[in-house]
Amino acid sequence: MSHPTKFGDRRGSIAAAVTVVLLLVGGALVGKAYSGTQSPPQPPAAQSAPSSAASASSSPGTTLSPSSSATTSTPASTSEFGPIMPPSSPISLAIPSIGVNTKGIVDLKLDKNGKLEAPQDFQKAGWYANGPTPGEFGPAVIGAHVDSKSGPAVFYRLGSLKKGAQVSVVRKDGSTARFVIDRVARYPKNAFPTATVYGDTNGRAELRLITCGGAFDQSTGHYVDNIVAFAHLIR
Amino acid sequence: MRTTTKIATVALGSAALLPFLGAGIAQAADGNTTATLRPVALNGVKANGTAMVTVSGTRIDVTMAASGLLAGSPHAAHIHFGADARHECPVAGDDAKGDGTINTTDGGPAYGPIVVSLTKTGDTSPKSGLAVDRFDTAPGGKISYERGSINVSSDVAQAITEGKAVVVVHGVDHNDNGKYDGETKSDLDPSLPTEATDPAICGVLNAAPAGGMDTGAGGTSTPNNEGMLLLGGGLLIAAVGSGAFTARKARNRV
Repeated sequence: MSHPTKFGDRRGSIAAAVTVVLLLVGGALVGKAYSGTQSPPQPPAAQSAPSSAASASSSPGTTLSPSSSATTSTPASTSEFGPIMPPSSPISLAIPSIGVNTKGIVDLKLDKNGKLEAPQDFQKAGWYANGPTPGEFGPAVIGAHVDSKSGPAVFYRLGSLKKGAQVSVVRKDGSTARFVIDRVARYPKNAFPTATVYGDTNGRAELRLITCGGAFDQSTGHYVDNIVAFAHLIR
Repeated sequence: MRTTTKIATVALGSAALLPFLGAGIAQAADGNTTATLRPVALNGVKANGTAMVTVSGTRIDVTMAASGLLAGSPHAAHIHFGADARHECPVAGDDAKGDGTINTTDGGPAYGPIVVSLTKTGDTSPKSGLAVDRFDTAPGGKISYERGSINVSSDVAQAITEGKAVVVVHGVDHNDNGKYDGETKSDLDPSLPTEATDPAICGVLNAAPAGGMDTGAGGTSTPNNEGMLLLGGGLLIAAVGSGAFTARKARNRV
């Protein structure tokens, strides 16, 4: 048992006061950080690995003269394709694991620069209507906002989507296209892997879910990254 | 001295031009394109499909899936392009003879001549356009086609990346008797019935969207959040420390 000294007492009460201040300020800061809306979940940024398709395509490799029109070097392969559905426009989208259940999917088109336009309505998802319909062979593309100016939008939680999660798209013909998530990645918009996202799907009917991510650039009014979820059709 | 300056100027000039030349070539050469194949007007085929063409310089890789075609019969499939064509699929108004169907001649103004024959083996030039023994026969009405490293001219490569080329799968069983027949002969080859060469499904190879999407207005973004959270968390941890110190002091006093 140590003898309580005056000095010790004072030290104790100073410590107590410091504790109270620290608790108040720290708690307030944490509270403020979590108050209102939380930042949308982010998948890790994609490694700077370019798409295999892109790197393969950019290799000079076979340099036959451009004028030698239509000769062949590789025989056709008759590989087995995955399940494919006939075309039908999407009308609703459900992703139970992240609470997405959106109806009234709008058609999206390209702007004059060839860029895919986002839906006007923050609470609606859009489908790239010039591409394959969800369930058809190829990459069907559905995009939606992560947030509006005031709060979360349809794809707010897309970044927290996990591999294996189920996605279902109800289509105009009454059928449902069921997909399974393969991976979720985040790419800087200035290094967007076009070939990986919109290119050949190797014999499968696939789906791309796209929203925004990363930091918000106040000067442009846009997020700097895109979050892309890759999924394929299951039987 | 003057010569040196001249050489330097020329060298500098061409060095400055090089990046532009490079950029121009790269832009024209590479791209991913997709065509959604839909029934050709008037021909009444209930088939559909998708074709994807990846352009790498003057080399193209093609994959295509289609279903609903006449089963067990050869389906000639091509990439078409003509500088004077409309770069689209034929419409009912293209039926020049007014016979109620679209044949290959009717399709010409819309999509132009054959530039690549999508054969399964061997030559892929326009010469193989009607090599019926080397095209997919669509077992069960389905085509699953994959062929890489087809070489094309730079004009054709550019037309594809610019969305001016059209994929057409031919073969229409107008009278629904399960085979190509009938009195009318093909415009392309009189030894074949027109059913064997009439366009069944068609789609323009559209360039993939450029880049990503702008899908957020920032309402939930809080750029300073992390800093705030870190500082607050740090202070709370410090509070635990000083709290423990206080408690020990208090305990000591008892």
